[in-house]
Amino acid sequence: MAAESCILVVDDEQQIRRLVRQTLERAGYRVCEAGTLKQALVEAAAAHPALVVLDLGLPDGDGAAFVSAVREWSSMPVLVLSARSDEADKISALDAGADDYLTKPFSVGELLARVRAHLRRAAASTAPGETLVRFGDVEVDLVRRAVQRGGAPVHLTALEYRLLTVLLANAGKVMTHRHLLRAVWGPAYVESTHYLRIYIGHLRQKLEADPTQPQHLRTEIGVGYRFQV
Amino acid sequence: MGNLRQHHLSPVASQVVAVVACILTATVCLPLRHLLDLTNIAMLLLVTVVLIAVWLGRSPAIVASFVSVALLDFFFVPPHLSFLVSDVQYLVSFAVMLVVSLVISHLTTHLQASVDEARDREHESKALYALAKALAGAMSADEVVARVASFVHQRTWAEARFFLPDAGDTLRGFPEAATRPADVDAAALEQVYRGGGRLPVRHAQAPEASGLLIPLHGATRCEGVLSVGLPGGEAVDGLGPMFEAVASLTAIALERLHLVARAQASQMETEAERLKSSILSSISHDIRTPLTVLFGQADALSLAEGALGAEEREAARAIRDQARRLNQMVEKLLDMARLQSGQVCLRKEWQAIDDVIGASIQMLGDALNEHPVKVLLAPALPLVAMDAVLMERVFCNLLENAAKYSPPGSGIVVQVRNDAGGVVVEVHDGGGGFSPDSLAQVFALFARGNSPSSISGVGLGLAICRSIVAAHGGQIDASNLAEGGACVRFTLPAGGEPPSLEPEPALPAGEGA
Repeated sequence: MAAESCILVVDDEQQIRRLVRQTLERAGYRVCEAGTLKQALVEAAAAHPALVVLDLGLPDGDGAAFVSAVREWSSMPVLVLSARSDEADKISALDAGADDYLTKPFSVGELLARVRAHLRRAAASTAPGETLVRFGDVEVDLVRRAVQRGGAPVHLTALEYRLLTVLLANAGKVMTHRHLLRAVWGPAYVESTHYLRIYIGHLRQKLEADPTQPQHLRTEIGVGYRFQV
Repeated sequence: MGNLRQHHLSPVASQVVAVVACILTATVCLPLRHLLDLTNIAMLLLVTVVLIAVWLGRSPAIVASFVSVALLDFFFVPPHLSFLVSDVQYLVSFAVMLVVSLVISHLTTHLQASVDEARDREHESKALYALAKALAGAMSADEVVARVASFVHQRTWAEARFFLPDAGDTLRGFPEAATRPADVDAAALEQVYRGGGRLPVRHAQAPEASGLLIPLHGATRCEGVLSVGLPGGEAVDGLGPMFEAVASLTAIALERLHLVARAQASQMETEAERLKSSILSSISHDIRTPLTVLFGQADALSLAEGALGAEEREAARAIRDQARRLNQMVEKLLDMARLQSGQVCLRKEWQAIDDVIGASIQMLGDALNEHPVKVLLAPALPLVAMDAVLMERVFCNLLENAAKYSPPGSGIVVQVRNDAGGVVVEVHDGGGGFSPDSLAQVFALFARGNSPSSISGVGLGLAICRSIVAAHGGQIDASNLAEGGACVRFTLPAGGEPPSLEPEPALPAGEGA
């Protein structure tokens, strides 16, 4: 499948474009490039890429606008490249529907791992979903709405369970605070991040081996949370 | 001003002139007394009185009235050259003539005074208008002061001095060299400046004020004090309104200069801020791009098994690691530059502090491989309002330092306790601690706590921590543990009462079977 996948790389810096292209091509992906947002929209519509690697510091506009435009007709994964100081841009791109971000400078191994994970997830989302999710020593039965840890049942409240399932359904994807709050508590709560802090704390207490250094319910500081198998 | 320049004769001289004028008229009429009626001669004398009233003022005119009646009686009413009168009716004529000349002289001088006053007023208005125009063009306080002083001097011979507040709001003579503050009562100046009205200045012996202190009231604040003094202790009372007008004009001019200066300063500040922030963001972009490429390509090379030998791959790894370190240094420098330029605005949200600590440990990843981190949390820690992104930098810097300055294998402890109104965080390591004489300055920019060592670093980490903690209203300090090892402790105020959660409806969902 890797052979047919075309990955769109959007960056105004030719050197970075080349780095990403070489990295992806070495791993066997086909790559198309765009240097501006306008060009990127044309390419995305024409080539139907399997994934987009999007730099946020483009001269002709807002990365978030590109993501929402793409989201109108496609659920292709969008991986954002950003500088550490561009928090606000990063969050607005993720809120608009981008899947993940990498902070520059990034290691090529990390880039490939993320690309593979998102391509896999995108492919899996078309197949019928798993009903049993396992991570660590935890087992979640989505049909029976039952959670077990090391074979013993774990009690979750309704909201804790809903939060967990939203995270599980988007495994590997960065979920922004707003997105999670809207999905679990409803649109009136998108600014009430303290709900999220407390409920994530509860989930970690119940499901993580060391709640202070979580392996699965990871914090993306200033952005949101990510579930990692 | 009228009293200073209406006529140039002293009172005695003008009365002498009046008497002489009457005698002159009488002398001219004397040869004509056979041709002219007595009535007409009386008329000529009356005209003389009127002219004297116009030219010389009231008291000479009164003197002239009496003198001309006497002259008429002596020279022209029979019997001549005698004050006796042949006919009693002449006494009535004299009385009427005296009354008429007194009334006329009174009316005339009164009219003259009104005309003079009107003319003076007009001059004054014109002069003030000219002064206003001149002040509108003044570009500096020196110019304003010089123009006003010369105006006051020209108009009244008075000396004008100015006392303007300096940067510390203390009144100073302006311009400094031209004033002798000793002449002016400092307490009176202060009183006038701090909201008093105008104050007269008296010299010890003089009964009347010879000077005035007038506040320069602008629209928004008092711009200073104008002090005017007449030379030789002349009375200044009549000039009060004019000086008030001058003071208002001065105040308006000074205030205008003041506001212009302020507007310019704030515009320059905005410009400077914009420049700083655009320089920062372009530096950050311009440095990051080549660093990203350098790091990425070296990383790719180090992974290129088969194509490269082990030695080359090792070299590529070294390049990658150095590029990463360079990037970290640049990030720290940019962080510090942003914090110092005051560009950082806190995005405070209610955070669980363990969440931030966990994310920092996760972020450092491999850097902590050789240092197991133990996080000790007090039970029931409150949520704290903080900027999680900045606070993550604090933890990353502290953990990184702890790992850098302690031997491999030694653990790091992060401890969080409840404290009145917030939390206290401590980070301990198992290294050699700070050198005792450097403890005081470890938070200074570019300070290195552990005396010259082979360990790399630029001495920014702790300075960044201090700035961020201070921005949150907390305090940070460093110490050495009794059992060895460095300890950095900081406090974070909770920032108010965290919002409460709505209780969740007790639905047993997700209940284990």
